Amino acid sequence: MNKRNFAAVIFFAIVGAFLLFTALMMHPFGNFNEENTPEMDEYIIDNTQNETGADNGVTAVVFDYRGFDTLGEATVLFTAVAGVILVFRRLKK
Amino acid sequence: MLIDTLISLAHIVVPILIVIASIYAIYFKDLIAAAIAVAALSLLLSLEFYILQAPDVAIAEAGVGACLTTAILIISIRATKREEEA
Amino acid sequence: MSGMSRIVKTITNVAFPIVLIYGLYVIAHGHLTPGGGFQGGAVVASGLAMLLVAYGSIWVIGKVKEKQLSILESIGAIGFIGLAFLGILMVFIYSSFQGNFFNNFLINQNEIPLFNEIGAGLANINTAGVIPLMNFAVGLKVIAGLFAIVLVMAYATRIKEGK
Repeated sequence: MNKRNFAAVIFFAIVGAFLLFTALMMHPFGNFNEENTPEMDEYIIDNTQNETGADNGVTAVVFDYRGFDTLGEATVLFTAVAGVILVFRRLKK
Repeated sequence: MLIDTLISLAHIVVPILIVIASIYAIYFKDLIAAAIAVAALSLLLSLEFYILQAPDVAIAEAGVGACLTTAILIISIRATKREEEA
Repeated sequence: MSGMSRIVKTITNVAFPIVLIYGLYVIAHGHLTPGGGFQGGAVVASGLAMLLVAYGSIWVIGKVKEKQLSILESIGAIGFIGLAFLGILMVFIYSSFQGNFFNNFLINQNEIPLFNEIGAGLANINTAGVIPLMNFAVGLKVIAGLFAIVLVMAYATRIKEGK
């Protein structure tokens, strides 16, 4: 086993350990009870309709509570389009 | 009762199909076949998100992953060589 | 690539309006049903990519240039940022609540009767304040951006193939 394969095995073991711990620490799927739910989830589920007026809680979080994330996503898309048009403009002629 | 059994079965079958599709995407030497395998992977992943009760992510995955990524990959393959160099 | 066969064009003619209507529905009802600006924009851009594959990039670039798509995308981005900054400006007009960046300034007021009701599970479309307007801005941005990527790549490789 040379040095590069050894590094690959170490990296694979670390990533696999992280994935395994994440899978063990996930919420139980489908049953909602008060103990294993974070406080932020309860606040958003209870107060979304009164504070933002939207029925869809996911859109209310994306566009109102976490508007900065959507701004970053829009910036990423804008940069991608600008880069693609910059690269392919010269090939077009 | 039957519906619950079918949903429990789908929770087992669909991830296995996702793993099989990803293995085929690595295995194929023809790059267009590999792109089609990636498209099938994205479609099955969209179905898995829908089973896990996240329809937002399912719509985004079906639109971007299964259609636009496949179109971009096939356009790129058309501009270069089709066979992978061993 | 100058278009595919007559069968593909006919099926595209039938399927494209359905995809377009579904994507616009997802954008317009983003605050009521699952979906939103990004998801509906991705669906509409998928329909436009289907049109591009069926009819060829020469036909499509005769209808719409990529500079027009860039202008549309910039309009969407400016609309999104402008709505975010209007949340700061609106504190000088109403002066009853505090204003900040990404403030939802259309909800809980009665002076502008636009999207100002509070939804309570009744699927009323006149709700949710500034969220539908941001959905339209982001939807326009995603449609123009994703279609510009596919269109520019297809047209550039078409020239290289014909050489």
